Amino acid sequence: MKNSAFYVLFLFSAMVTFAQEQKMSAAEITTFKNAVNATAKSTKTLTTDFVQYKHMDFLSKDIETSGKMVFKAPGMLLWQYTKPYQYSVVFKNNKIVINDAGKKSEMNVGNSKMFAKLNKLIVGSVSGDMFDENEFTISYFKTAEHNITKLVPKDAALKKYIKQMELNFDKKGNTVAQVKMTEPSNDYTTIVFKNKATNAQVPDSVFTN
Amino acid sequence: MRRFLILYLLTSSALFSSCAVKTVKGLEAKTPKVTAYPVTYFSNLETDYVYKAHIAIYGKDFGGIFIAKKVNDTLYRAAFTTEFGNKLFDFEITDDSFKVNYILEELDRKIIVNTLKRDFMLLLKTKHNVAQQYEDDKDIIYKCSDGGRYNYLFVNKDNGRLSKIVNATKSKEKIVVNFNEENNILAKNIVIDHKNIKLKITLNYIQ
Repeated sequence: MKNSAFYVLFLFSAMVTFAQEQKMSAAEITTFKNAVNATAKSTKTLTTDFVQYKHMDFLSKDIETSGKMVFKAPGMLLWQYTKPYQYSVVFKNNKIVINDAGKKSEMNVGNSKMFAKLNKLIVGSVSGDMFDENEFTISYFKTAEHNITKLVPKDAALKKYIKQMELNFDKKGNTVAQVKMTEPSNDYTTIVFKNKATNAQVPDSVFTN
Repeated sequence: MRRFLILYLLTSSALFSSCAVKTVKGLEAKTPKVTAYPVTYFSNLETDYVYKAHIAIYGKDFGGIFIAKKVNDTLYRAAFTTEFGNKLFDFEITDDSFKVNYILEELDRKIIVNTLKRDFMLLLKTKHNVAQQYEDDKDIIYKCSDGGRYNYLFVNKDNGRLSKIVNATKSKEKIVVNFNEENNILAKNIVIDHKNIKLKITLNYIQ
């Protein structure tokens, strides 16, 4: 009896999932891609708060960290954790500058193909500019609120770090609302963006670390 | 003859003291009152022990998140991720076993894995078999065998808490772990300092 109840519940939840997430048609994909690309192109600046949830199978609850993110086209990015610790990263001019509670370090992205890819991935997942069919096998889904893209890396080096990236776009505004990055071990990191503001004045001085 | 004996005693004691580890130098060894010392930090099965980590190695600095979790009576998971969440390593540790569930390819070098193994097995060791006991003004010090080395456990006389572990060979200190504790099952700040290589790991509790 208990088993059958569980089975019914499982079926029901599976049906709900199916009902929620549907594959996009070819026409919908084209429309969606055009809309996102247009938004990405017109996005000169983007500021947003974020909450990051790190899920690992053996933990009793996800590790929650939060902060703010500022992006300025074409490629300046500040990623700043303020809770529960101070840690910020600036991506600028092919360099990554890290400020770890006052301790600073710098990396040259230009020297590392891997970092260049990660950099592009982070900037791309914020701006939405990541439909690179050469880099990823991409599939498209939709729910009532979101358009969803699932990206599976083609590059062997990237595959070692990332099994799949899932980007949820707000249907209104076509900007990224949530990113889920799944590791080969199936542990994952979810980043939820909120309080987004586009094209506000952002001075370059924001991107100093 | 007598002068010879004094000279012999002097040189041998000088030799002896230069060989002896400085950890308990000048302290009298006593028969231990306990046969084993159980470490209670990291012992709560319900708690995810999450720390902001800082690693200083040969002048370079790295940050990350260190997580320790007691999974059952004997088994720990010890994992490390970047601030962005990417996993760098994930180990399974008991008092006498070590298994790599995952390690980033770039870190998968024998010397790195062995160093991490020694550090985290020491940090998460739950039961130390006491061989000798010492005492200074502040602490009771338990000397415990650990493979070919010894662990000296400093237990504060006032509050009964473990404040330091010194991992040493017969003559040299190798690793010093300092605990700044919140209570018996939680050390808020932990510093793992290597004496033979320039490596220092600082852990600050965040969750």
